[in-house]
Amino acid sequence: MNPLTKRKIQNKVALSLSTLAAAIGLFWLFFILWDVFRHGMSFITLDLFTKDPVPPGFEGGGLRNAFVGQILITLVAMVIGIPIGVLGGTFLSEYGRHSKLGRFVSTLSDIMVSIPSIVIGTFVYAIMVKPIGHFNGWAGGMALAIIMIPVVIRTTEDMMSLVPWSLREAAFALGAPYYKVITQVVYRGAATGIFTGILLSIARVGGETAPLLFTSFNNSFFTTNLNDSTPSLTVTIFQYAMGPYDDWHGMAWAAALVITAAILLVTIAGRLLIKWRYRS
Amino acid sequence: MSKNIKIPAEEVLIQVQDLGLSYGSVRAIKNITMDVARNAVTALIGPSGCGKTTFLRCFNRMHDLYPGNHYEGRIIMEGQDLLGNDVDLTELRAGIGMVFQKPTPFPMTVFDNIAYGLKLKGILNRTELTDRAEMALKHAALWDEVKDRLKSGASGLSGGQQQRLVIARALAVEPKVILFDEPTSALDPISTSKIEELIFQLKKEVTVIIVTHNMQQAARISDYTAFMYVGELIEFNETDVIFTNPNVKLTEEYVTGRFG
Repeated sequence: MNPLTKRKIQNKVALSLSTLAAAIGLFWLFFILWDVFRHGMSFITLDLFTKDPVPPGFEGGGLRNAFVGQILITLVAMVIGIPIGVLGGTFLSEYGRHSKLGRFVSTLSDIMVSIPSIVIGTFVYAIMVKPIGHFNGWAGGMALAIIMIPVVIRTTEDMMSLVPWSLREAAFALGAPYYKVITQVVYRGAATGIFTGILLSIARVGGETAPLLFTSFNNSFFTTNLNDSTPSLTVTIFQYAMGPYDDWHGMAWAAALVITAAILLVTIAGRLLIKWRYRS
Repeated sequence: MSKNIKIPAEEVLIQVQDLGLSYGSVRAIKNITMDVARNAVTALIGPSGCGKTTFLRCFNRMHDLYPGNHYEGRIIMEGQDLLGNDVDLTELRAGIGMVFQKPTPFPMTVFDNIAYGLKLKGILNRTELTDRAEMALKHAALWDEVKDRLKSGASGLSGGQQQRLVIARALAVEPKVILFDEPTSALDPISTSKIEELIFQLKKEVTVIIVTHNMQQAARISDYTAFMYVGELIEFNETDVIFTNPNVKLTEEYVTGRFG
């Protein structure tokens, strides 16, 4: 066999194998999406969003409490996680660039990304639930924030590092102090990337259940008081899916559909933003 | 020294005295002594790695951005040693502009690019910003090309336009000196000639120091030329003398293209 034919065959084999692998991956993704859609769609009603749960055996009811709780907990996570993440990433990319501390924090943050989320849940339980004596929404937000921070730090640092150093020099050469170089030039250059990183980190924590189980727990009643245990979609899905009642299962499917769709939308928005920004 | 010209004191803006720069244990440039004439173009030439850019970046203290750099000697401008510890770097850099090898437009609109330096100087009045931006763009011979797209992103301009935008940005803050670090090496011949023409015009108002790889460019636009080799100043003289009748053999070999 001449070498050219051999290479062509190798190419075909490699191409087929990798295409097959990609197809298998995609198959499960679409299978899950389709299954969630199929089961969940029939339970999506206006009541789902506007009514609170009713005791088992009663007709109707919704998951308004869980939607509101989820949004509140995520907001708390964003308020804590985004500033710390962005400023931390800024430190790593700028001030701590050459320092031992910078490298240490950077490594630590990479390790933090892979800490199992349930460990973070138990950690926050120990510092924010146990001492207080009861589950609370703040602890849930904190647990999600801890998961968000390293994700935001990493993307912020990466995106800021992508801004060419010559651009910073040009700003320095005009007489700009470092903080203005960062806030007016580097942030501007990295804005879309940082924003996308934030969106993706929100999508990441939006689907977390384990860290909430030990912190905000769940609540069958509508509440906006984060000092109390706070309902969330993910924990509700977990409890309803484990429960014995058919309409609980239906609600769980519906909630799964809503949260999947929401995360999908946020992720797609993030991707589109990158595409739009780097088009030219 | 006979190999270096002595510029009459009243024409001198900057005196470089025994300048050296080392990072770590490496002495990148050493023992440089020369004068920079006011409202003239001074070119720095020499083979790659000879320290021209390192020398240029001493004037606005760019080396201070990176740890481990140490200056020796002095750079005296209007009675002040630019290398002194008490020098306010933001103030210094506002007075000594710099244009880099690759165009460095900021990721903002054409107008905001020009306004950036002005705002740093504390000029916030909209009318004044607009007026001075227009003036700077006209000055940099870019106004006619961008007057209808001041509000669009600077990244949409061509490379040559971007470089003139950057020059306009530097001009807008009315510096005394502008440093050019191979400003045309990334540009096509037409853009290059526009920039050369511009630099030639600029010396009416500012003092220009330019690093160039292109000897014809140095010959075309500069009044004085300094030839550097392995971190040292070999010869400094009027450009005509350097290119037609240099005092040092090494200079002659370089400008006639026998090495470098």
